[in-house]
Amino acid sequence: MSATAMKHEPHPGQERPVADAAAIHIEAKGLNKAFGKVKALEDINFGIRNQEFVSVLGPSGCGKSTLLRIVAGLIPYESGIATIKGEKVLTPRPDIGVVFQTNNMLPWLTVRGNVELGARIRNMPAAARDSAVDKILEVMSLTKFADAHPHQLSGGMRQRASIGQALVLDPPILLMDEPFGALDALTRDKLNVELLRIWQEHRKTVMLITHSIAEAVFLSDRVLVMADRPGKIIEEVVIDLPRPRNAAATRAMPKFGEYVAYLGKVMGVTS
Amino acid sequence: MSGVSSRLAAYVQVISFFGAFLLFWEYGVRYFEVKSYILPPISSIAVAVWESKDQIFEHSMYTLGEVLIGFTAAVIVGVLLGMIVYVSPFAQRTIYPLVTALQTTPKSALAPLMIVWFGYGFISKVAMAFLFAFFPIVVATLGGFAGTSKNLEEHFRALNAGPWRTFTTLRLPSALPSFIDGCRVAMPLAMIGAIIGELVGSDRGLGNLIMLGTASSRTDLVFGCIIVITLISLVLYALIEFAAKSVWWRGIQV
Ligand SMILES: Nc1ncnc2c1ncn2[C@@H]1O[C@H](COP(=O)(O)OP(=O)(O)OP(=O)(O)O)[C@@H](O)[C@H]1O
Ligand SMILES: [Mg+2]
Repeated sequence: MSATAMKHEPHPGQERPVADAAAIHIEAKGLNKAFGKVKALEDINFGIRNQEFVSVLGPSGCGKSTLLRIVAGLIPYESGIATIKGEKVLTPRPDIGVVFQTNNMLPWLTVRGNVELGARIRNMPAAARDSAVDKILEVMSLTKFADAHPHQLSGGMRQRASIGQALVLDPPILLMDEPFGALDALTRDKLNVELLRIWQEHRKTVMLITHSIAEAVFLSDRVLVMADRPGKIIEEVVIDLPRPRNAAATRAMPKFGEYVAYLGKVMGVTS
Repeated sequence: MSGVSSRLAAYVQVISFFGAFLLFWEYGVRYFEVKSYILPPISSIAVAVWESKDQIFEHSMYTLGEVLIGFTAAVIVGVLLGMIVYVSPFAQRTIYPLVTALQTTPKSALAPLMIVWFGYGFISKVAMAFLFAFFPIVVATLGGFAGTSKNLEEHFRALNAGPWRTFTTLRLPSALPSFIDGCRVAMPLAMIGAIIGELVGSDRGLGNLIMLGTASSRTDLVFGCIIVITLISLVLYALIEFAAKSVWWRGIQV
């Protein structure tokens, strides 16, 4: 927790004590989910504290999106329990914003129309909505493309618009499913920095699904690693890098490299 | 510049092709001495149309009325039924197979029945236009709704969108391209339905005029009517095409 308690090696599996049960925003206990005969998730247990940034790493098909859908209240689960702020998840909640793995833009709306869609649906007052949308378009460098339609954008711009739509809602809990998936490394880095800045400013509880180890380490307080068949959490790594983090300095820290190397080993990536 | 000149070249090609076709018709008929009750020269068709223009106009308006009312009814009923079948599993199990089965019956065979049911006048032709246009519209509407992206539906659920909001903001715009495609198919069919109805039994309309022309060996007038029918169909089709332009997002996946 404190910088002085840091040792030089990562401390995989070492959990920070949970200070206050009421402060746990997202929790799963003994969660199981199957699609017919396919066991997608088995005995999933984890908790994400208020304003904590947690990433979920895992191979393709291990059930990351399924886990996110359950937490978001979009699909039912067989046994165990998922809770948000201590309440059992039954349906989608208005205090959650979701960024899906697919871009999910409405082709007939402009970029602006898409970015403000969530706010419209959730009946945000028009004045607040307009100023939030203006700001997010600015942050996501989409202001010039506000009146363009999604098919006129690059893949990365569409992803930024998708993230923007969720950010306009300013939800206390943000679930993101590989939001930077289709981006080149450079754009991805830039957006990582941008996301970190927004998070540091607005402090949300974030669950980020990603397959980039470096991204997970750079952004997170904690990283959960999943394995497939059946999908389960096999490792939990507390990322004890000082905040506020900074693109160049944080990535240059020896500990950063150690975390990346350790997670790579856990995931069976040999470099 | 090259865009303009290539478009000009395209027009020149089209015009010269049709010009050549009409010239061939006009002089071919004379050269091969085709009897005028078989195939009159194009000039005498034009003269016949001009001489009977008031009559043709009146009958055209009558037929156009049948087509437009039948088509509009088909759109309204077709869209409603498509929506009902989409939202109701019961209707999906019962009404939809019925619709699919009825779709395969030859609608022209129903013309005599329509005249028995609705008489010789306007209504039976409206019913024929309706029957021809209805099925493609139901099928296209239903296909449009069913084709709504599952990802987007989930996205709307995550945003806590209510059913009405999801319908107006997502499902309706998703279904529009397919619906317009249905109208494209249905519009010419509505004309075909109305004309078949008029041929089977009527006292007015272009189909009726064709029957009268045939009975009195006025093949020039018959051809005139056929050309007018085709032109009306083309104009109606062009109107649909124009409307289709506002649904530009067909086939765009993002
Ligand atoms: N609706 C569904 N019906 C049946 N099987 C499903 C469904 N959704 C997911 N699955 C299965 O559950 C498993 C986990 O899928 P999931 O999409 O959660 O993986 P993921 O970890 O998100 O993968 P990726 O990194 O490729 O996105 C897979 O085997 C998948 O085939
Ligand atoms: Mg996934």
